[in-house]
Amino acid sequence: MQAPGVQVYDDARLGQVGVRLLTPENTNLFEGSFSLMHCAVQGDTLYRGVYAVVLFPVSQPDRFISLRYTDTNDRNEKEREIGIIDDLKVFSQEAQDMVRKSMAKHYFERRIIRIHKIENRFGLLFFKVETTRGKLDFVMPWRGDRAEDYGSSGKVLLDAFDNRYIIPDLSELPEADRDLLASFIYW
Amino acid sequence: MTIMTSKEQGIPAVLCFRRIPDGVREQAFSLGFSDQALLFAVRSDLDLAGEPAEVWTLVAEDRIAALKAGEPRESPVGPFLLKDIQKVRSYQKVGSAFLQVKMDGLYVDVARFSNAERELFGRVARHIQRRIEGQPLPESALSAQSDMRCEQCGLPLPGRKAQCPRCRGGRGIFARTLGLMRPYWPSILLLFLVMIAGVCLDLLPPFLQKTMVDRVLKPEPGAEPLSGAESVRILLMILLGLVVASGGRCLLNIFIGRTTSVIGTRITKELREKLQAKLMSLAVEYYNRHSVGSLMSRVLWDVDYFQGFVTQVAQGFMLNMMLVLGIGSMLFFMNWKLALLVLLPIPFVVVGTTFFWRHIYPRYYKVWDSQSKTAQLLSGLLSGIRLVKAFSQEDRERRRFGATAGYLQESRRSLETSVATFNPIMGFVFGLGGLIIWYAGGREVLQDKITLGTLMAFFGYMGMFYGPISALSMFSNWVTGFLSAGQRVFEVLDATVVVVETKDARPVSHMEGRIEFRNVTFGYDPYAPVLKNVSLTIEPGQFIGIVGKSGSGKTTLVNLLCRFYDPLEGKILVDGVDVREMKQQDLRRQMALVLQEPFLFRASIAENIAYGRPDASPLAILNAARAANAHDFIARRPLAYDTKLGEQGAGLSGGERQRISIARALLCDPKILILDEATSSVDTESEQEIQKALTTLCRGRTTIAIAHRLSTLKNADHIFVIDEGRVIEAGTHEQLLEKQGVYYKLVKIQTELTRLEVQ
Repeated sequence: MQAPGVQVYDDARLGQVGVRLLTPENTNLFEGSFSLMHCAVQGDTLYRGVYAVVLFPVSQPDRFISLRYTDTNDRNEKEREIGIIDDLKVFSQEAQDMVRKSMAKHYFERRIIRIHKIENRFGLLFFKVETTRGKLDFVMPWRGDRAEDYGSSGKVLLDAFDNRYIIPDLSELPEADRDLLASFIYW
Repeated sequence: MTIMTSKEQGIPAVLCFRRIPDGVREQAFSLGFSDQALLFAVRSDLDLAGEPAEVWTLVAEDRIAALKAGEPRESPVGPFLLKDIQKVRSYQKVGSAFLQVKMDGLYVDVARFSNAERELFGRVARHIQRRIEGQPLPESALSAQSDMRCEQCGLPLPGRKAQCPRCRGGRGIFARTLGLMRPYWPSILLLFLVMIAGVCLDLLPPFLQKTMVDRVLKPEPGAEPLSGAESVRILLMILLGLVVASGGRCLLNIFIGRTTSVIGTRITKELREKLQAKLMSLAVEYYNRHSVGSLMSRVLWDVDYFQGFVTQVAQGFMLNMMLVLGIGSMLFFMNWKLALLVLLPIPFVVVGTTFFWRHIYPRYYKVWDSQSKTAQLLSGLLSGIRLVKAFSQEDRERRRFGATAGYLQESRRSLETSVATFNPIMGFVFGLGGLIIWYAGGREVLQDKITLGTLMAFFGYMGMFYGPISALSMFSNWVTGFLSAGQRVFEVLDATVVVVETKDARPVSHMEGRIEFRNVTFGYDPYAPVLKNVSLTIEPGQFIGIVGKSGSGKTTLVNLLCRFYDPLEGKILVDGVDVREMKQQDLRRQMALVLQEPFLFRASIAENIAYGRPDASPLAILNAARAANAHDFIARRPLAYDTKLGEQGAGLSGGERQRISIARALLCDPKILILDEATSSVDTESEQEIQKALTTLCRGRTTIAIAHRLSTLKNADHIFVIDEGRVIEAGTHEQLLEKQGVYYKLVKIQTELTRLEVQ
């Protein structure tokens, strides 16, 4: 029974006009020409050269994956959405691998696990860090807009060329590294 | 960036600085490439999987391929024959991008590169596209200077086309702050001299006290005894000396305080004005990147640190240094053994302070951040108060503010509790120093090695000595706060003005109003153009309609015409002159902008109407309001034109606000009038009123009207239909209807909607 004063929302009604959910029952994903991902949706057409975009990359990295394609028939070659995969795990392993490969192509971020040195020269921060891909040096302008929040406890640093360096959770950095970072990136 | 070329087809030989690795070359030969046919080769830094790699994209006269250097040799991407390629693009993803070729209606990845290389690959894609289309390859197309690196030293720039901070020979924050004080150097020199006098006066009292004890109160054994009257006379003399020293110090302190305040407040005023002027000169794009709250906190609070700088120079650091030197010398002069003991606590203090501040100074940053975020949240909350109430989100906002206030509280608590712990510990360490002197000095008095007066004077000086030492140990605390505030202030002052007025910019006193967009390409993100090769011409006095879906680039056209931004490619000409060659103020003075959401200031209605022409006569204001159909509703208000408006015109309806903004535009008598959805957010009745006002406003002026309601453009001389940043249709209303294209469809949809509304 509905508690007095509690608003009940009809999400099902909203769903009728909302996004299209792709499931293994209505969607077939396979590798086609040029080794690109193709997608056939039941009652719809075949989409070629499909790629995947995560809609909540920070808060829900494994769910709500939008499958998209470039509409080369459109004069402006618009990107269009085919539909959304809520849970990738329900798809076949082969399909999962294809989607994950596509997601890996869409995002390129270096994950910082240690910060060895930060030096401020000429209003630029010279970082020496260790990432999951090895040691790296990069230069970041010392400005508020170059370090943004990443979820509730992380940071994303943008270097002078907009390359992305992620610290998913600041509390996972060693304390000394955290203090070093906080002496420059304090916002 | 590495580019290698074997032929000199418009690509300077200077680019041939690195050879293609042998392995790649061999593999390329096996794929049908030859030295003779190779046009150029570009190195990228990632493989297609996103792993760091050296990948060479080779472009020959008939083919393209990407080959990975190193062992084990991997399968190449391609080769793809140029004749099979329909299109080439540099496709931006998150954090990296791809060079893609379109074949058989599909985009295929050729090479992947990090964002550091995207500028180069953007040019590479355009270059290959030209090759496919059989166009000539432009001179030095690939070797154009990067906007992101310094041409001379290669340092990454703090922003696109920004000045190189290294080559500019930038000075540190302290040096630049001292530079700000240059106009006041006579006063500062005087302050310095007064400070020295003050230190001399400070040294006097303990010395006089010593004389008083040793000669009057407890004469040294063996000294010639004084008569009672003589003792009183000397006592009075010493007391007089103490009064003079203390009174003199008082006067000097008043002088120092007042002068410091005068200089400090002047500097901060000048700095605030500089910041405001700089903020006004920065492009709209800067405000997309910085929150208003953070900019306000720089102008309001960070600048105050500069006043502190003057105080520190006059009364803090310098004074304390002088006192330490003066009193230290005095201590050694009186008794060097005891003086050495006085120095005992100092190493502990220095080590403790250094260690402490290294850990404490990030907390100062956090306090600033929490203050800035609180201001930001509050400003957004109060501006959007109607929305908060409409969606009944007061409780949520209360919680959100509670969390921010909690952050502010926590950051302050963390800072202040640390300071509150540190200070008593330092006091205790200094106290131990005093106890050592009591013991060692007391023994010397008991052994008659020194007099009681000397010991008392020693204690007097010691108290004065530890004070400045303690203050100096805290100096790093202040320096930290100052440096962070200074960095934020100079960050604004150093921000690159993207839209620059050239030194020889032409003054424009009169304008006909002819506008031409010539092959204009522009994107807020240079890698994602919003306008693509747009060309259009508007004759003086024409009424032009611009139509298109949201995000099609209509407002961007206007932003470029007003020179809020400069095009990446192409030109915008007004009366045949490139707008970049005109004085910005002159250009904008000849234009008026009526926006969808008119912005009104917290001022009287009259002041709002006269905003663009503050010297307008009351009669001119009345005429403008009358012409804008605003006069009657203004006159009905108790204070009529003197009615003070609330924040953003609170107290007026949407239509009333819009008519005031039209009156404002009318009063400026612009040659070019831009109406950006001027009637889209008001009801039909208000729209009619506004339309009447606009008819008056547009007469005899070049008018560009962006509108969703196509009925408002029926009488336009010419209509441009924009889609995805391109002009796809152009003509009069009737011509476009006849064409039965996009415009026709839009009209049909709107007619259908109107019919439904009427039903």
